[in-house]
Amino acid sequence: MSGDTASAGPVLEARNVSRTFGSVIALSDVNLEVRPGEVVGLVGDNGAGKSTLLKILCGALQPSSGQLLVRGEPVTFHSPKDSRGRGIEVVYQDLALATELSIVENIFLGRERRRAGILGRAGFLDRAAMARDAKESLDSLAIEISDVEARCGLLSGGQRQAVAVARAVRWGSRVLLLDEPTAALAVMEADKIGGLVNEVASQGVGVVLVSHNMPQVHQLCHRILVLLRGRIVADLRRDEIKVEDIVMWITGAALASR
Amino acid sequence: MLRCGPGRVVVTDGEAVGQVRVGGSRAGEVSSEAFDLRQEHEASERERRLARRRRLVEQLQGEGLLFVFVVVFVLMWVSSPYFFTKNNLLTAASVVSVLGIMAVVETLVVIGGEIDISVGSVMAATSVLIGLMVTSGWNVWLATVVGLLFAAGVGAVNGVITVYFKINSLVTTLGTYSIFLGLAYALSNTTTVSIGGEGFSVLGSGSVGSVPVPVFFFIGVWIVGAVLARHTAVGRHVYATGDNYDAAVRSGVQADLLRVGLFVAMGLASGLAGVIVTSELGSAAPQIGDPYLLSVVTAVILGGASLRGGRGTMVGTLVAVAILGVLQNGFALLQFSTYLEDTVLGTLLILAVLTDRLVRRAER
Ligand SMILES: Nc1ncnc2c1ncn2[C@@H]1O[C@H](COP(=O)(O)OP(=O)(O)OP(=O)(O)O)[C@@H](O)[C@H]1O
Ligand SMILES: [Mg+2]
Repeated sequence: MSGDTASAGPVLEARNVSRTFGSVIALSDVNLEVRPGEVVGLVGDNGAGKSTLLKILCGALQPSSGQLLVRGEPVTFHSPKDSRGRGIEVVYQDLALATELSIVENIFLGRERRRAGILGRAGFLDRAAMARDAKESLDSLAIEISDVEARCGLLSGGQRQAVAVARAVRWGSRVLLLDEPTAALAVMEADKIGGLVNEVASQGVGVVLVSHNMPQVHQLCHRILVLLRGRIVADLRRDEIKVEDIVMWITGAALASR
Repeated sequence: MLRCGPGRVVVTDGEAVGQVRVGGSRAGEVSSEAFDLRQEHEASERERRLARRRRLVEQLQGEGLLFVFVVVFVLMWVSSPYFFTKNNLLTAASVVSVLGIMAVVETLVVIGGEIDISVGSVMAATSVLIGLMVTSGWNVWLATVVGLLFAAGVGAVNGVITVYFKINSLVTTLGTYSIFLGLAYALSNTTTVSIGGEGFSVLGSGSVGSVPVPVFFFIGVWIVGAVLARHTAVGRHVYATGDNYDAAVRSGVQADLLRVGLFVAMGLASGLAGVIVTSELGSAAPQIGDPYLLSVVTAVILGGASLRGGRGTMVGTLVAVAILGVLQNGFALLQFSTYLEDTVLGTLLILAVLTDRLVRRAER
C-alpha cells in the first residue's frame, strides 16, 4: 500500500510547526506529512508533545509559528470546525463524549440531521434517520453495540472508545487523527480498533495514530515519527525497523548511542 | 531520560510498554498478559454491575418523585375538606403556574450547567418598572413590553458576565439578585403602585372557561421547553454543553452563545412571571419575588435536574412543580405559618441534592 500512496501528494502537512505554553516549549520546528491511505505513527514519552501536535493539526490549538497545508493548500484552522470542514476528524485522548447523551446523539453532536420540511426548519430532529445512520456506521466497523439509543455513560470504556472512533470515521473523509485510541482497552478490543484503522486507511483516508502500544504501532503504521521533548528525532519506515528500535528512539537511547 | 536500558524494554505486551511510560518501572513490575486479562474481565464485570445500579437509581429517582406527589396529594386531601374541590385545585394551579414558568426555563439553565438565582429579583424589578411607567402615564401594554425587554436585558447581563468573563453563575446571579432587588425597593420607596388598565388584569386573574390564564402561560412555556429539550438540536446542545463543555465545543456546538441565550430566556421568563403577578395583584410591588428565590431552584433540583449539568427532564420538573403547588396550597388551607413553608422547601432542596449525589455516586 505504501507503494501507491507514496505517489500521491500529502493530504495533510505541517511545516516547521512550533508551539509554546508560556515558557514551556511543547513543540519545536515539527514537520509532518500524511498521504492518502497512509498510517503515520506518532510516538514519544509522556509530555513529548504528541497531543499538542494533534490538537494543532485539527485546529483545537493554534501553532505559535509554522504552517499547515491540506492537499498542498495553506490553511489556518481557528477551531476544530474549520478542520472538520476539510474532512479532518479527531479522536481525543480524553474521548470527548457527552455521557448523558445517547450514542446516536454523540455521533451526530453538532451535526444533527433535521427533518424534512417546515418542522426541520424549525429545528426538529430526524431521530429515526440518525439512528439508522449511526447503526450503519457501527455495523460497517463491526462494532457490536445493540442499542444505539443507549446513554454513553452506560457504556464500558472500550465501547466508548469504539463510539468515539466510529464517530470520527463516520465524518472523517480525508484524515483521521487518533490520540491513544487503545489506551484503555483490552487486548481484543485494541486489536479491533487496529482493524478499524487498517480498514479506514485502505479506503484512502490518511491516519495519524498516537499510541504508547509499540507492537501495535509497529504493526499498523507505515511510518513512525518519534517526538522527544517537542522535536521530531526520527522518521522510521516500518519495514526497516524492529519494535525495540522505536523504544530506543523514544527514550533517547538511540540518540545517545550515536 | 534514560529510564530503561534497551534490553529491558523488549516486551511484546502492549500494556507492559504502557507501564514503562508511567515512569521508571522496573522489569519486575511488568505485568504478564494473563494478569491483564483477568483484570480486564473483572473490569467489565464491574461495568455491568455499575450499569445495573445506575438504572435502578434512575428509576427510583423518577418513580420516587411521582410517589412523593401522590403521598403529598393524598395527605392534603385527607387533612382538608376544601383541598379536593375544583375551585381550590384551579386556584392552586394558578398560583403555582408562576413558579412553573420560571422552573421550566431554570431547568434548561441547570441542564446547561449554570444556575440563575436572580429570578425573584428580576420579577420584582420588572413589576416596579412597569408600575413606574404606568404612574408616569405610559400605556400599560407598552410598559409591559418594555418591562419584558428589561428582564431579558438583565438575563443578557447575567449571561455575558458568566460566560465571557468566566464567573460562576451562582456568584453572578447572586450579585444581580441583590442589585435589582435593592433597586426595586429603592425606586418604589417600598410602596405599592396600583395598576388598573382595561384587560391587563386578564393576564393574572382572568380565566378561559374555568381555567385561570396563568395556567395557560405555564402549559405553553412547558410545552415549548419540553419540545425544545427533547426534539431539537438546540435542546441536545444544551444537554451536551452542561454535560461535557469541551466535548460540546469540539463538536462544533456554540456552547457560549447557547449559555447566554439560556440566561436571556431565564430573564424573559422571570419578567413574564413578574407581569402575571403584577396583573393578578393589580399593583406593582417590590416584594412579589421574595418567595421565588428558593422555590424555583428547589423545583428544578427536586425534578431531577443535576446542578452539575447535563441532566434533567421537563416531566421531572412538572411533577416537582406540582408537588410544591400542593404543599403551598395545603399550607395555606391548613393555615400553617408561611415561615414553616420555607423550612419545608429547604428540607426538600437538601433531600433533592442528596438524591442527585446518590445517583452520581452510583455512576462511579
Ligand atoms: N494547555 C497547556 N498549557 C500548558 N502546558 C501545556 C498545555 N498542553 C500541554 N502542555 C505541555 O506541553 C507538553 C506536551 O504535552 P502533550 O500533552 O502534547 O504531551 P503528550 O506527548 O501528549 O503526552 P502523553 O503521552 O502524556 O499524552 C507538556 O510539557 C505539557 O505539560
Ligand atoms: Mg497526550
